Amino acid sequence: MASILIYLVIGLPWIGALLVWLAGDKRTTVQHILAILFSVASGIAAVALLFNTSSTTVINLDAGGVFGQFTFVADGLAVFLAVVATVIGSLAVIFSVDYMHGEKSLGRYYAMVLFFIGGMAGLVLTSNLLLMFFFWEITALCSYALIAFHNDDPKAVAGGIKALIITQLGGVGLLAGALLLFSQTGSYDFNRMIADPGIIDPRILSGMAFGCLVAAAAKSAQFPFQTWLPDAMEAPTPISALIHAATMVNAGVYLLARFFPAFKGVPGWTTAVILVGMISAILTAIMALVANDLKRVLAYSTVSQLGYMVFAIGCGGVYASQFHLFSHSIFKALLFLAAGAVIHSVGTRDMRQMGALGKQMPLTRFVFVIGSLALAGIPVLNGFWSKELVLEAGLQHGPIWAYAFMLLSAGLTAFYTFRMVYMVFYGKPSSEKHVHDAQPAMKVALIPLAAGALLSWLLAGPFSSLLHNSLPAHEIHAITTTEVLMEVLAAPATYIALAVVALGLIAWWQRQHLGGVAHAFRWLTAAAENSFGFEAVNAGIVRLTLGAAQKLRTTQTGLLNWNIAGLLIAFIAVILILVVRG
Amino acid sequence: MTTIPYIDMLTVMIVFGIGLYTLLITRNLIKVVIALQILVKAGMIALVLAGRINGQVMTGQSIALTVIVADTIVAVIALALAVQVKKHHGTVDLDKLRNLKG
Repeated sequence: MASILIYLVIGLPWIGALLVWLAGDKRTTVQHILAILFSVASGIAAVALLFNTSSTTVINLDAGGVFGQFTFVADGLAVFLAVVATVIGSLAVIFSVDYMHGEKSLGRYYAMVLFFIGGMAGLVLTSNLLLMFFFWEITALCSYALIAFHNDDPKAVAGGIKALIITQLGGVGLLAGALLLFSQTGSYDFNRMIADPGIIDPRILSGMAFGCLVAAAAKSAQFPFQTWLPDAMEAPTPISALIHAATMVNAGVYLLARFFPAFKGVPGWTTAVILVGMISAILTAIMALVANDLKRVLAYSTVSQLGYMVFAIGCGGVYASQFHLFSHSIFKALLFLAAGAVIHSVGTRDMRQMGALGKQMPLTRFVFVIGSLALAGIPVLNGFWSKELVLEAGLQHGPIWAYAFMLLSAGLTAFYTFRMVYMVFYGKPSSEKHVHDAQPAMKVALIPLAAGALLSWLLAGPFSSLLHNSLPAHEIHAITTTEVLMEVLAAPATYIALAVVALGLIAWWQRQHLGGVAHAFRWLTAAAENSFGFEAVNAGIVRLTLGAAQKLRTTQTGLLNWNIAGLLIAFIAVILILVVRG
Repeated sequence: MTTIPYIDMLTVMIVFGIGLYTLLITRNLIKVVIALQILVKAGMIALVLAGRINGQVMTGQSIALTVIVADTIVAVIALALAVQVKKHHGTVDLDKLRNLKG
């Protein structure tokens, strides 16, 4: 049963991608319907898979030769992420019906989205590290193609190429990890390594651990690779919601969570993970404070929240990090899609040109506020419970300075979230333009997500038993929802965090009186607006590469005689080496 | 232990050297084709020689025959291209044929 469902979850979107492409751009209605049908069917298959979880390998395809066995496992972590990918994927596809209405080359758009959904499901469901690398690259390719979807816009193309190059760095790390695993164990199946990390030479294991950290940081846009995600916001908004908030950027967190039992013994690894998460969370929270582009604010907050998840893994809180991932993918997809509805009707992404949209877009305002409250960590919404779990894990197992920084960024999160909501929906209107509320298909996508943001924390108990039952090596305890809630409510950390969040809100409320503080921190503002110099570093690397290429170009004379001379010199060198070495 | 027939070895080296030297100094497309032919001839002799040293005379000679066939086709096509190049560009000087260089 589980094996058929896995084939369906991965295969249905791919078949759909092919059919949408074959339908042709002249039959747009057929394309919309096909895309919705296949993505929703895949979502249903993934949900059905939730009831068939196990920790054993369910599919074992013999790929022959060095490729070994292509194995798929339906354990809790994998199935949960497959559900997130396919369900949020189908909601994003439904949203696209209105958002992408009238766009050219819809076939390319839907084919890439469906190809991505299948690839993402494959990435999390496989237990073969080489196959995971293939799926990893498929998601990177789709991400690139969809960021650069408006390929007549140079900014979009540049953003796409930037994302592709930076995530490739991670891909190389993953490939190296796969080859090291094969050289040590003779198979690409990583579950054996997770069950018993001792089978691998400690030095090799250390290399793999840090390689995986680089791969995860590049994919999840963590420090020092965080620069690609804000530029990826040139993509159509449903893509930002699906790929750059809810699924693909979580692949890095998934990788760290998956390998945590194997790597936690590596000296220095958990500290490095904590540092990466902490720096990402705090830096991007500050950048979100000064950004004026609605989608960029959301992108910075995505990096910041992913930083929380990475931090939680570093502190040993795999359950907390995955629960926050779950909450985050719901409320951030909601925020992005609601922002998409706003952008679609206002026609700009600059928040300074919005304002007082709330009256004209009541439903969008309602769901956006729900998403924002969840992002800020206000009680009862799902973001509150999961963020408290992360912070509690940090207080119990992490260094106290890291915890302090995470608390600070929780306060900053509340501050920039309210700034964003205020600038978009309240305050003074900046234009007399009439805007319309979300359209029908958009509402169909927004309302389930809003309900999810309100209620998904009720699943905390079943979620923990799902992970507990099928992940023997991760040492996750099965607890009921009530126990989770009591634990959060009884912990003093919760009230500290709430106090910090409230401070953030008060700071926003009293912002006129804080002019002096803002003045004192203007150097920080300037630095944040320049993305703390990371863009300069990127530009420097690009300049260096191009300069080196220009210099090396002179060696390519294209003259036959020079080439022959080069061949001859190399030939003589080889002969000499052979003679000297006997 | 088979002794290596030095005179054959020397022939291979000399013929190969002539071909390489021609490639090194010529700029004429026709001469380049001829030089490549000379290089391949050296390769054929080397194949026959290798067969003899290995004790697999038949294999060496049959591969050499195959190379002759393939090499003839290469020569014919290369010369035909050279004729077309001359027709289009009016020259067979390689230094002047640089349109493809970026």
